[in-house]
Amino acid sequence: MSGKNMEEKVEQATNSKNISLPVSRVRLIMKSSPDVSCINQDALFLTTKATELFVQHLALSSYKNGSGKETNTLSYSDLANVAEETETFQFLTDILPKKILARDYLKSLEEMEKDDENL
Amino acid sequence: MFQMDGDSSTTDASQLGITGEYMAGSHFVLAQAPEDEGDEGLNDHEDGNGSKDNLREQDIYLPIANVARIMKNAIPQTGKIAKDAKECVQECVSEFISFITSEASERCHQEKRKTINGEDILFAMSTLGFDMYVEPLKLYLQKFREAMKGEKGISGVTVTEGMGEELTEETFTNPLPAGIITADGQQQNVMVYTTSYQQIPGVQQLQFS
Repeated sequence: MSGKNMEEKVEQATNSKNISLPVSRVRLIMKSSPDVSCINQDALFLTTKATELFVQHLALSSYKNGSGKETNTLSYSDLANVAEETETFQFLTDILPKKILARDYLKSLEEMEKDDENL
Repeated sequence: MFQMDGDSSTTDASQLGITGEYMAGSHFVLAQAPEDEGDEGLNDHEDGNGSKDNLREQDIYLPIANVARIMKNAIPQTGKIAKDAKECVQECVSEFISFITSEASERCHQEKRKTINGEDILFAMSTLGFDMYVEPLKLYLQKFREAMKGEKGISGVTVTEGMGEELTEETFTNPLPAGIITADGQQQNVMVYTTSYQQIPGVQQLQFS
């Protein structure tokens, strides 16, 4: 079976089998990893499906983690918190830095500079 | 394994919008500046784009509408999702895919194979702390395969299970190309297929009405 043909079939099957993510885009992201040559169809499907599960998992964990503080809204900081607190999501901490108020940052910068001067 | 450039913490000046996204008096400064993400993209094994063409690998995301929809269905109905949370999950998703793929790819290389297969992916998930996905994924894969076979132009196909004892061991050992129907002396026409890495316990049969 040719690769292109297979991808069309995969798309068709995924439409009827409740996958709501574009398989071809997933493939693109996978291929952008270094040293990845071929990805078989099962691997592609599994990754796509796993990604769905991941989104659900991340969204729900963050929402639960944050609710009570926020007004029923899943916010960025909920995500950042869950990444820090949950081992499974720790690989995300670098892309989910906790935002701090700019003025707090500038203040701490100033303090660091003062410390340097005092040395 | 997973490496980030060292200066990706929030104390990095470039991330806190000093490059121009600083908004005086605003509640939060967005720790995002697209140009600055060039160094800490989705794949940390290489520094630049390498051989990638127009699209930077860091820019490849799944469509936000799809991602948002899945998120919405996951949280209670009354819940809402902030826009920056959606965008953020979009990036997390690409990160996740790369994370799994790198791990799977590594295993592949160790075993001197060139093609990443389903087992590599499942193994990677288990290794990286997502073993709770593995069992559901195996089930989905099974269903997916059934759907794939079903869409080869054979009409009126239904799938039933449970007649495994009537087939011999031999039928499982030879992989049959999909679409070939073998009659093995029983009343029904039976199509048996085996997978490259996993035998599906029990028998999948197609009945023609």
